[in-house]
Amino acid sequence: MDNTIIQQGEFTSNQADKFIVLRGGVEWMSVVNWTQSVATNADYGCHYYWQYGMADGLGLVYYHPAANATLAVAATAAGAGFTYVDSTDVAPGANRAVTASTNVAAPVFDTGNTAGLAVGSIVRVNTLTGAAGASVGSLCGWDFQVGAVTLNTDFTMAYNMATAPGLDGTAGFYRIIPYDPIFYPRWRYVINITQAANAIIHTSVDHGYTVGQKIRVNVPAAFGMVEMDGVEAIVTAVTAGTITTNIDSTGFTAFAFALPAVLPFTMPTIVPIGIDMGTAITGAVNILADATYNTGYIGMKLHVGNVANPNEGSLSPAGHLNDIIKWRAGKSFSNLME
Amino acid sequence: MRLGVQLRMTEDELVRNMLAGTAAMINCVAGVNGDNPTELTAADISVLIQTLLGNNAKTVAQGMEGADKFGTAPVRNAYWALCDSDLTADLNDIDGFEHTSQYPTQKNILPSEWGSVQNLRFLVSSEGSVSPAASAAGNDVYNVFCVGMEAYTMVDQDGMSAHFIYRPPIYDGPLALNCSVGWKMGFAARITNDLWVLNMRTTRMN
Repeated sequence: MDNTIIQQGEFTSNQADKFIVLRGGVEWMSVVNWTQSVATNADYGCHYYWQYGMADGLGLVYYHPAANATLAVAATAAGAGFTYVDSTDVAPGANRAVTASTNVAAPVFDTGNTAGLAVGSIVRVNTLTGAAGASVGSLCGWDFQVGAVTLNTDFTMAYNMATAPGLDGTAGFYRIIPYDPIFYPRWRYVINITQAANAIIHTSVDHGYTVGQKIRVNVPAAFGMVEMDGVEAIVTAVTAGTITTNIDSTGFTAFAFALPAVLPFTMPTIVPIGIDMGTAITGAVNILADATYNTGYIGMKLHVGNVANPNEGSLSPAGHLNDIIKWRAGKSFSNLME
Repeated sequence: MRLGVQLRMTEDELVRNMLAGTAAMINCVAGVNGDNPTELTAADISVLIQTLLGNNAKTVAQGMEGADKFGTAPVRNAYWALCDSDLTADLNDIDGFEHTSQYPTQKNILPSEWGSVQNLRFLVSSEGSVSPAASAAGNDVYNVFCVGMEAYTMVDQDGMSAHFIYRPPIYDGPLALNCSVGWKMGFAARITNDLWVLNMRTTRMN
């Protein structure tokens, strides 16, 4: 029919959730597990179906109920089907209680609810107080990456701040932050800068910069190293959470994480400003690596299912390890609800 | 929503999101609401304007000469401040705020303009940039993009600027049952000089 968009594709399952970007949007999706369709493994899914209006995480599954070619149909288990994804939806998760936080360079936050939290997740703490209601607000409002999670007990910041925040926390809240700003390259919070011949900048989350990119460093007085404020730097080496620069900071004031007493303040940041062609070429980096582009997408998450199950993936559209998966997705001309 | 309006709003939203993701920021810190950032104040605006001036950012809007009319005052040459309409009540309370109705002339005022403070003229939109639950107290943070001349640009690409396309029913099929209307565009936006745009982050008092 006119005005109907149909897309298709194929992938080999790595037994992990699979994100499929669907440029024109999606209102129905059909997934065929080629490997399990032609095999006769009992309780393995062959064909999955989702349509607009189904709840997140659900779908239909056609599977072999016995070790032969017969088929049966059922709803997928909750969270084992399809979830529509719009990465431009930046709404943070709900507030969750924090019952304690430690006064160390990589604080540990105690919480009874770590649902959906994993290593690499981004969290934002708010309204954190310590003994006698003293504010630990200097830790609040930042986006921090999670480095370790103990189920329903605590989580730890991935990257060390220059110094401890100054107080233990006893009560507060945190939220899971679902997505980055959709445009790349992005500004980042800075939590430490070393005093070195080539200053190393530590960001609160993975920064995504590449060698050769130029950045401007903004360091308010509350964080010590004012000599670095406004400086333009070239990225000469990177790890996920650090940036080595061409700036000699050996004689600079030490960077220190602001204490609650100096609130309110502006957080130190780095912002992308361009690329140094020479460094990029020497480092074999694309000279357009600093180009501003929209990373937002809409698409579908095919779930891998219950990871605690030994038959992991056998009844979920992301498939079992090395299964060949073929899919079709469409956007209909009309979607009549009766 | 009218499709043509949606097209233009989409362009605005893309520029908004580009600025939110890549522009340098400064928190409002002179307010009294106890949050970080605080609400917007004249002192914060002074610091911001001083910073833009120090960065040699040129103002965008020309000044308006004073006129012999009751309740009006001259308007300074100004940078644009692009913000969410939720901030209008706070803007009204800023020392020195001058509503557009108090300008000495009603010419050269943009439909979205709310008023001016010092060398900032505020343009408001219901689609302004908001970072939800991003303050120290967990409140929404409003991003006020203060821009000088040529601080950012939108890149027109040959044959890929906005197309608004209407197809009459004859293109549908033998029975000519359905017409269609839609739009498409290729779009790129970029900060041209990071020193000439600042994101003034603020929470609300009202």
